[in-house]
Amino acid sequence: MSVILAATVAAPSALSGGANVIAVGVLLAEFGMFRQALLRDQVRLYAAQSSLISALAIVVAATRHLPDLYVLAFLSFALKAVIVPVVLRRLLRGIGAIGGDPRWSDIAGSHALSVANAVLVAIAVAAFGFFTVAALGIRSPVLPATALSVSVAVILVAFVLMIVRRDVVSQAIGFLSLENGVSLTALVVAAGLPLILEMAFLFDLLVAVVVFGLLIRVHHGRAESMSTADLTSLRG
Amino acid sequence: MASTTVTGQPEWEERPVISESMSPALPVPVVQLLQVVTVAAAAPGVSGVISRVEARMQGRTGPRVLQPYFDLAKLFRKEALAPEGSSWVFLAAPLGAMVCYLTVPLLIPVLTTFGLPLGYMGDILGGGFILSLASFLVATAALDTGSPYAQLGASRAKTFGAITEPVVLFVVFTVALVTGTDLPYALAATVRSSAGQIIRPAHLLAAAALFMVILYETGRIPVETHTGTNEFGMIEEARPFEHSGPYFALLKWGSAMKQLILFTILLNVFVAPWGLAATPRIGPVALAIAALIGKAALLGVVVAVIDNSFAKLRLFKITEFAAGAFLLAVLGVLTLYLGGG
Repeated sequence: MSVILAATVAAPSALSGGANVIAVGVLLAEFGMFRQALLRDQVRLYAAQSSLISALAIVVAATRHLPDLYVLAFLSFALKAVIVPVVLRRLLRGIGAIGGDPRWSDIAGSHALSVANAVLVAIAVAAFGFFTVAALGIRSPVLPATALSVSVAVILVAFVLMIVRRDVVSQAIGFLSLENGVSLTALVVAAGLPLILEMAFLFDLLVAVVVFGLLIRVHHGRAESMSTADLTSLRG
Repeated sequence: MASTTVTGQPEWEERPVISESMSPALPVPVVQLLQVVTVAAAAPGVSGVISRVEARMQGRTGPRVLQPYFDLAKLFRKEALAPEGSSWVFLAAPLGAMVCYLTVPLLIPVLTTFGLPLGYMGDILGGGFILSLASFLVATAALDTGSPYAQLGASRAKTFGAITEPVVLFVVFTVALVTGTDLPYALAATVRSSAGQIIRPAHLLAAAALFMVILYETGRIPVETHTGTNEFGMIEEARPFEHSGPYFALLKWGSAMKQLILFTILLNVFVAPWGLAATPRIGPVALAIAALIGKAALLGVVVAVIDNSFAKLRLFKITEFAAGAFLLAVLGVLTLYLGGG
């Protein structure tokens, strides 16, 4: 009996449990992006994911007494959960509308794999991320190691998202949520990063959003579609 | 981890200490019998609550909460017919399935926090096997009828059952990693032991995955319309198509019992293992019966809300639903394995 009991996993403290739950929420939002068929929902899910990361930053700030992180949490919420979604929606207004209704866009059938298969592939990739990070043995003073594994899984799953969905919007959102994964990693391994650096990263993101928005508009103007399948013919 | 007492005995194996000061104690076998009777008697009522709440939310008056009991009483008085060419399997299956559903409440914590005699014979997997046996018997009877509709339902139930099975396995793995056993009593004791056990992601993910499996197993909305007209999308509901009279009543009662058994496992093992009797006394046991019915009715309201807020998935999209549940269960095991989530 004692041998069996030795194999059990002790409960984490309520704090690290809560932090892990938020981190897992970020990963689940990433998986949710596989299924979204509407441009608007895709952007909303990104905003929800960004809010979760801000919430985690506030938890870390409050429990580890890092007041800089409050500023970062506020800035990242304002930028990633409010400004970026608004800018994206502005840039994409009227694009890809079906039958004149701007809420419906043609990103629905852009899966290279079926949703269930894509999720299975992503689970495998996420598991790879989990085990690699565990093998590195990185320990963080502010957050439990699980959060780090989850953040690496978020980054890898964002790559899978960009690969299996063949529409420009999902690929842009995949790229932006990849940045969310990087923010999460930064929060775990380098919570004490100077604020000026973090802010520089955040404003870099804004540039990326504008570039992506323009790319989407140009692509849609040329191809009359959100699908990237048309680009295959450009191969030499 | 299951906390252990001074004697080295895990907490969930603790035998109740009976003193003479409080309300009289029931013999333990009687409590065990009460578990079965509670599930059997309350099951149609829980179905009644769900359909009543669902109707009220749609602005209809809806059937009485007690309507399923009247339906069963009516069906038991009716004549039973078997399709021509069907064998004894057709008539034996409802009885066999009912026996299975009466056995499972002996093994799971319906009313008590301590294990009852033979309660440790079956772990969560054991209970799952008995439930699968019941579903297999019903499917066999459906095949025996030769009716294409019942056969379609049975074949679909088995196909999608094979997809949800891995989810259940991963939920059991999570339980095993958390408690070191897969006895339902052990997990309930662990959940009660501290707040850290409740908000760890592995626990929440496993509970959510199990809830999704229960929605599939009880034929609720993202997967199947539970009540109403016959349609091509039916899975579980199509199987008893050819049964009639008392046999049909047994199948209906059995599926209501299966629903309450699954609700009990979710509530008393994963989500809310409070209100259970720690001693076999009349007072706590009566309280436990009331608590179980109250909790099951509350969960029924949640299920009714889901029934009313989502559309039925197309048959070929059910794999997406199962993939979602599988994702939750696998993430639960992964977070546990690495870093003790």
